[in-house]
Amino acid sequence: MNDFGFRLLISAGLAVSVVHADTLKINGSTTVNLPVAEAAELLRAEKKMDIQVDTQGGSSGGISMLGEGLVQIGMASKHVNDEDRLKFPKSTFKEIPIGEDAVALIVSLDVWEGGVKSITKAQVKDIYEGVTTNWKQLGGPDKRIAFFNKEPGRGTWEVFANWVYGDHKKAPQVSFPEVGGNEETRNKVASTRGALSQLSSSWADGKTVFALNIKVESGELIPPTNENIATKKYPLSRPLFLLTNGEPVNEAKTFVDFVLSDRGQALVKKHGYLPLAELK
Amino acid sequence: MNRRFSITRLFSYGFSALAVGTVMAMFVLLFIQSLRVWQYEGLGFLTGTRWFYRQQQFGAAPMILGTLITAFTALLLAAPVGIGAAIFVSEFLHPRLRLTVKIVIELLAGVPSVIYGLLGVLYLRNWIYELLTPFDPLSGDTLLTGAVLLAVMILPTVMTLSDDALRSVPAIQRHAARGLGLNSTEVALHIALPQSARGLLAALLLALGRAMGEAIAVFLVVGRQDNQWPNRLLSFQPLIQSGQTLTTKLASSETNIAYGDPLHWAAICGLAWVLMVMVAGITLVSIFFSQRHVP
Repeated sequence: MNDFGFRLLISAGLAVSVVHADTLKINGSTTVNLPVAEAAELLRAEKKMDIQVDTQGGSSGGISMLGEGLVQIGMASKHVNDEDRLKFPKSTFKEIPIGEDAVALIVSLDVWEGGVKSITKAQVKDIYEGVTTNWKQLGGPDKRIAFFNKEPGRGTWEVFANWVYGDHKKAPQVSFPEVGGNEETRNKVASTRGALSQLSSSWADGKTVFALNIKVESGELIPPTNENIATKKYPLSRPLFLLTNGEPVNEAKTFVDFVLSDRGQALVKKHGYLPLAELK
Repeated sequence: MNRRFSITRLFSYGFSALAVGTVMAMFVLLFIQSLRVWQYEGLGFLTGTRWFYRQQQFGAAPMILGTLITAFTALLLAAPVGIGAAIFVSEFLHPRLRLTVKIVIELLAGVPSVIYGLLGVLYLRNWIYELLTPFDPLSGDTLLTGAVLLAVMILPTVMTLSDDALRSVPAIQRHAARGLGLNSTEVALHIALPQSARGLLAALLLALGRAMGEAIAVFLVVGRQDNQWPNRLLSFQPLIQSGQTLTTKLASSETNIAYGDPLHWAAICGLAWVLMVMVAGITLVSIFFSQRHVP
């Protein structure tokens, strides 16, 4: 109740929240959070900076809280689109790429061992639209497909919907059980038989959840490896951003510069994402 | 009458007014913010079973049903245990032990709800998933999982308030009953329980209100699946499927998306208003029952 009330207040813009001058507030995507939280840890220790990192509402939470001036840096695993810019006309969102990540389609152990190792775009579309409901139809075990859909507004979901439908706004509205952050997604897929969901590929550990290969039209199987992401061969990849309102200044600039430095980029790589230098 | 100026009186009037004013302001503000959806959907906002915000369909009925199912199931599970424990603690336990037990149980009430939620994700979901295997649930995220978690969360409320209600039965009545030859079990069942019935009912209703308003713990285990309207209203089927409650919708990322779209935003505020009315209504009824009538 508290958390809900709190969100409602900030969302309604009723809370007169004074951002303390010395506190650097960061909010957004759980995917970008991994290297950012660690960078914040280092800067807290080394430069005695006061940094708060939060992951309320994923990427769109980051965008809206930056738009409302409640944080100085947003984290997003998707582009800021025109709609977002229209919602917050007073903000000039600046996208600062810090790396690249892929969205994997992950399944639970029983599906993987039951023989489903790859999937095509058409098959995914049928599952999303409720045409395919049993793994048997994809050559797997006779088990209903427990599809956990990422919440709308999540970067992961948009990358997925952009791939399947060309544009996420064209995706039909469906009602599946929804999952939010990456931990929740991995945990629920791992503990449910016949489960399928979308997840940042760096979280697909290959022990509890398994990333399907994407089968393209030529029949080739493409796993979400770093090489395939770098060359854009793997189709579900996405840029990771830090967002600021205009050019970053003061603490925000210190932070952004750190993430773009060699040490910061090493953190991006450590968490399984592609650092900027390895792209293209 | 003493008409002397008193700072204490001034402040207590002021703060009472502030408290009452805040509650009224929340009702009014949420209603004003949600006006647009009432104009757009009318009563269909309460009875509509389809919620597709991109098609601008806002029917809250499945969420209202989800809230009612989880809260009442939780109460059904917590009531016998809570009242049973209260009878034991108040009627049979040594007074000194009684206080210790009561403190421990009240400590339980102070555990942050996100902790219950995480325990729910880690253990309860999986236990319920295995337990329900004969019914072939799609996953461990079900309304039942949410209800069981809520039952644990409201247990301290049920227990400690029931204990208070039982203790408020005058000692002289117990002594009289014992004097007439009733044993302690008979005193508990035939004297204390009937005398405190109103208080027990108030305790249950207050717990029900708590269960309805709880968000984060339920959020993590209920599945958050929209548009789950059962074919038959009186069946167990919805309990073992994923669902959505008013609070889980309000805590979801949709509040971020809604901001900026006036109609969608109004719909979200409408849900908050409906939730407030439901919880406030139950609390009011509970207060009515907790007023002890003069014997």
